[in-house]
Amino acid sequence: MIHVYGVVDRLADLPEVAGLDDAPLELVHVAGLDLVVSKAEPTAEISREALLRHAEVVEELMQASDAVLPAQLGRAFRDDAELEETVREQAPKLTRALQDVRGCVEFGLRAIPDEGPQDVEAASGVEYMHARLGEMHREDSLVADLHEPLARLARATTLHRRGGELNAAYLVAAEDVAEFRRAAAQVEAAPGVTVVCTGPWPPYSFAEGAR
Amino acid sequence: MKNGDRQLLQHEVTLLELVDRVLNKGVVLSGDITLSVADVDLVYVGLRVLLSSVATLEQQQAEIAAEAGR
Repeated sequence: MIHVYGVVDRLADLPEVAGLDDAPLELVHVAGLDLVVSKAEPTAEISREALLRHAEVVEELMQASDAVLPAQLGRAFRDDAELEETVREQAPKLTRALQDVRGCVEFGLRAIPDEGPQDVEAASGVEYMHARLGEMHREDSLVADLHEPLARLARATTLHRRGGELNAAYLVAAEDVAEFRRAAAQVEAAPGVTVVCTGPWPPYSFAEGAR
Repeated sequence: MKNGDRQLLQHEVTLLELVDRVLNKGVVLSGDITLSVADVDLVYVGLRVLLSSVATLEQQQAEIAAEAGR
């Protein structure tokens, strides 16, 4: 079974860390792309250790390369032939995505209003609509006050709104990181809402393309 | 929010964000073998639970620190 950690561009050296189950990391070339993989005995489950190890390897790859597309954990390949066929099919998309994330890191944002969710299970349809509209209105305010100032400093963004909460990611060029951090510190101090910015991350949220 | 609470929250959210990224984001290079998540589910506690547990955790840390100081 083959685990893929990511697609890399100009990897200086394979990181010294071991892969899942302490297997050595290997560099594989397919269709002009470099992938970092490791081989393991087939298992059916992802453990907490495997998850942290995968993250650690991806982090190391980011440090040691010009660009990395982190692979999602949990999709393993049976053998080299299967890996090669899949990567060959996706090569144009992967090459583009690798180009998009070059020189960038990712930051995350979670925002939760302190007042909590409104009761949308209200008695009547009218009450439900009022509650839902209020929630949407609060989400719009959060997007304008928190997300937009950060989005202006990012090459690409993702934004999910759910139950009055925001979950966003930002692809930030290395030269804009200092300014992004300053903006993030301001956003975190916003009243009436708990905001946490995390990062820099490898560009997990933009690995499928940043457009 | 107190400084210690803030640090703890940052730490917990970072863990949550890490799990979310590794399992749900990243490029999907679909192999035939799909692995399921075992004890990792435990990490998926809602943020709301996190927020309310910050105070408890901070208290526990203080107790541990006090014990270590003895």
